[in-house]
Amino acid sequence: MEIKSLSLRARAVVEGFMSGLHRSPRTGFSTEFTEYRQYSQGDDVRFLDWKVMARTDREFIKKFEDETNLRCTFMVDFSKSMEFGGDDSDVKKSDYGRTLAASLAWFLLQQRDAVGLATFDHDVREFIPPRYRQDQLKTILGRLETQPAGQVTDLCQALNKLASLVGKRGMIVLVSDFLTPIADLERSLNLFSAAGHDVRVVQVLHPRELDFDFEDAAIFEDMESGRSLVLDPGLARESYIEKIKAHNAALDGIFSAQGITSFRVNTTEPMELVLLRFLQQQPAKAVVRQRRSTGRTAA
Amino acid sequence: MSFLTPLYLIGALGLAIPIVLHLLHDRPKNKQAFGSLMFLDKTKPPVDRKRRPTHLLLLLLRCLALLLLVFVFARPFVTVDDPAAAGKRDRQWLTVLLDQSASMQRGDLWIQAKGKVLTALEKLEPDDHFTLYAFDNKSDLLLDVVSWQGSVSEGEVTRLLERLDKPSFGGSNLGQALVFAGEAIQEYETKPDEQPLVKRDILVISDLQKGSRLGDVQGYEWPTGIKVSLDQIGEDDQGNCGIEQVAARTLWAATESVPSFRVSNSSNASTDEFEFVAQSSTDADSLSQKVHVPPGRSRVIELPAEWLGQSINQLSVRGDVANFDNTFYFAQEKQQSVRIVYIGEDSPDDAEGSLFYLRSAFQKTSALNFDVQFISGQSTIPLPKADLYVVGDVVNGKLSTSLNKAVRAGGTALVIVHSGKQTGNMQQWLEAPNLGIDDIKSKDYGLLQSLNLDHPILSVFRDSRYSDFTNLHFWNYRELQNLPDAGVQILAEFDTGPAAWLLGSRGKGRFIVMTSGWKPSDSQLALSTKFIPLLYSVLQPVLESKTQSRQFFVGDQIKLSKFNNGNVAGSVSIIPPGNNDVASIKSGDVFLPDKPGLYTVKGSDWSEIFAVNIIPSESRTEPIPMDQFQRLGLPMNDLEITPELLASDAAEKTEAHRHEYWQWALATMLLFVIIETVLAAKGSRSVEPITGS
Repeated sequence: MEIKSLSLRARAVVEGFMSGLHRSPRTGFSTEFTEYRQYSQGDDVRFLDWKVMARTDREFIKKFEDETNLRCTFMVDFSKSMEFGGDDSDVKKSDYGRTLAASLAWFLLQQRDAVGLATFDHDVREFIPPRYRQDQLKTILGRLETQPAGQVTDLCQALNKLASLVGKRGMIVLVSDFLTPIADLERSLNLFSAAGHDVRVVQVLHPRELDFDFEDAAIFEDMESGRSLVLDPGLARESYIEKIKAHNAALDGIFSAQGITSFRVNTTEPMELVLLRFLQQQPAKAVVRQRRSTGRTAA
Repeated sequence: MSFLTPLYLIGALGLAIPIVLHLLHDRPKNKQAFGSLMFLDKTKPPVDRKRRPTHLLLLLLRCLALLLLVFVFARPFVTVDDPAAAGKRDRQWLTVLLDQSASMQRGDLWIQAKGKVLTALEKLEPDDHFTLYAFDNKSDLLLDVVSWQGSVSEGEVTRLLERLDKPSFGGSNLGQALVFAGEAIQEYETKPDEQPLVKRDILVISDLQKGSRLGDVQGYEWPTGIKVSLDQIGEDDQGNCGIEQVAARTLWAATESVPSFRVSNSSNASTDEFEFVAQSSTDADSLSQKVHVPPGRSRVIELPAEWLGQSINQLSVRGDVANFDNTFYFAQEKQQSVRIVYIGEDSPDDAEGSLFYLRSAFQKTSALNFDVQFISGQSTIPLPKADLYVVGDVVNGKLSTSLNKAVRAGGTALVIVHSGKQTGNMQQWLEAPNLGIDDIKSKDYGLLQSLNLDHPILSVFRDSRYSDFTNLHFWNYRELQNLPDAGVQILAEFDTGPAAWLLGSRGKGRFIVMTSGWKPSDSQLALSTKFIPLLYSVLQPVLESKTQSRQFFVGDQIKLSKFNNGNVAGSVSIIPPGNNDVASIKSGDVFLPDKPGLYTVKGSDWSEIFAVNIIPSESRTEPIPMDQFQRLGLPMNDLEITPELLASDAAEKTEAHRHEYWQWALATMLLFVIIETVLAAKGSRSVEPITGS
């Protein structure tokens, strides 16, 4: 409920981010009536209000409100690496990411926006096109609740495929740990940016993935490839932190170059704060484009 | 140093286990799953230098403990070379078992056997130990030369063998002879001043016929180091045919049975046609018939009907090569008479009385002739002698006293209590002056309970198939009041409590009292299946003494008390076949017949004939399969002397030392294990446990 009081309404007025809560300045085809105006020659006779004409013997054209909808597609990483959660008591990255996606989906659907979902590991696993339906939330939550069974992540291949699946322009929320080689990532993300999508990236990491806070020597096992490495964390920590910082810096570079809004969250952060941050975040550049009304308006 | 069980040394390979485990210990044991290893480089795991010396010590201790365990199992021993024993090493002990059983009477087997004994002597060296046994169903020590003196001792053996002109008629018990010889060697060697000999051989000189009993060797733990050699003679056997009587009949069975005989032919026989001949004592002419018995088979022949009338005492088969077992001596069973006296007022033809059923129960058989007499209880005639008295009514004073005397002298009386009038009789017989008899007035019938089925009289019903007495109803019964405790045993009770059947032992004899009889007005007993077994059970001691078999085997122990209905007093003469060597034997002693034939046992005023035969197993002359000896675990002499055998020999000699070695090794191993445990515990306390990160 708290989220309703946030400033999302204000932020998305222009493009109808919060469709249903605010009016579009454009009128068009819609079920909601706005006003009458006098018929002038050249107007589509289909929009004449025959009942008013019969009553008053004057021609009036009905004007309707054109509802603008946000089409938001969540792309959630279902690979094995997302299953990392440090100790058993910690929240797994996958749980965190799925909860985040579900919360946003619920929120957007409540605003009557069309929400879709794509899950991927090295390929696209599921794709639910963005829709506004009564049971869409249920479908999405159902998909998100299934345990990730993916193996290795191949972000680029999955994104390339998704770019062809997501048709109309809209918002893309990409939830992943981005622990994958990023050589081709820029090109893949460019497919979305070029298509006019508002891409927002949420990189979910576990605190231990950031500070490598292990004590005892152990056999470290890669959750995706199964490869194991005998390590003394004390010796490996410095180099690890260095490398992951470089990786994250490279990612940030790619995102800013593409004008992509990115969030780096760790699984210990309270979810509400992250959502607040997400909703408050302005797009990196003006990629929100007005949707052209297809409805005819009377002059 | 040698090892008793060196194969256990392979266990030393187990040393690899602690070494491998120690090496593995250096690797971290815990696993840590991690999202991606793409930012991690391989590092060298740290070595805990403080723990390493403890680890090495632990490894050393574990390896030593394991080595010692292997050492303990391998059982090390040290053979001490004793110069005194070295001189005696070549001494050997030869034990010869000479078969003198009846089957050795065939052909020239006996001469061959004696020759083999002399041949065996050639192997003996001066100072060797030589023992000679002759065996049939028993083993006789003929000669024991502790220190062989060459030709002097040889002459002694030759003279001894010359005296043994013929084998005996006994059955061969090779198993017993082997055990006997083995134990004699063991016993001799356990003497503290005797040094065990290196070579101990038992040589069996025998025809090794299949009938030689080997049962005694089965389950006998054969002493180590004693080897057995078999010297078989008469291998080219032409088979043999034997005759024996078919299993004894139930001597008091009601059905008449004809004596039958089994003629068996050995599997290696060359002929299958025999003549079955019977000879009677009176008629010199013999009766004969042809019998066809294929090799390896046997055939049961009943005495032909026309022969039954003859007093046949000798049966034989003719047609085979060996004659020693062809004759079977047959002492026909004499019909024994059993006298039963009924004292009462019943008529023998009255189906409502007790006597009628008593007479019906005891029917004459081929072995027993029951004579059931009856006298009135008020009769003045003296009480006749009887094996069983049955009292069915009141008995007058004189007769009662006589009966009391007869029972105390060893007789048996079955008393049926019918009325209170018998109180006087019962008081006298059971010596109970306060005894009273009450008639039980009950509308309901009585049933038996608390039957003492362990008592010999009722033990015939002990089987659960026969122990159900609930179908037996008693309409009228009485209760005996104030029964004496001494010498009275309740055999059964009525369900209402009073004693139904009781036994009063008085003097040498016994009174069996029934408080309800078997006549139909009293109970259903006479018509039940329990009646006849019960009466025979009461008579059992008498029947046993009267129906003793008169057939024996050579070597059987014959108890003389069994003859003349058990009435044998003083000494009796036994006249063997041929009427020579009459033996006078006391009645309590046993007689051991040494040859087959018809013997006469003669008392002061009686004489009886019994037959003695060669044991039937002696007729099975085909050779024993040699693998049977191996199966019985006998160490045969054809086996080579293996290092294991030598080791076991040596192990026996140094047993005491060997024990000390393995015990010390075991103690040291335990010490190592304790130190290792303490060190390991200490080490684990000083190191923080590895926790999953």
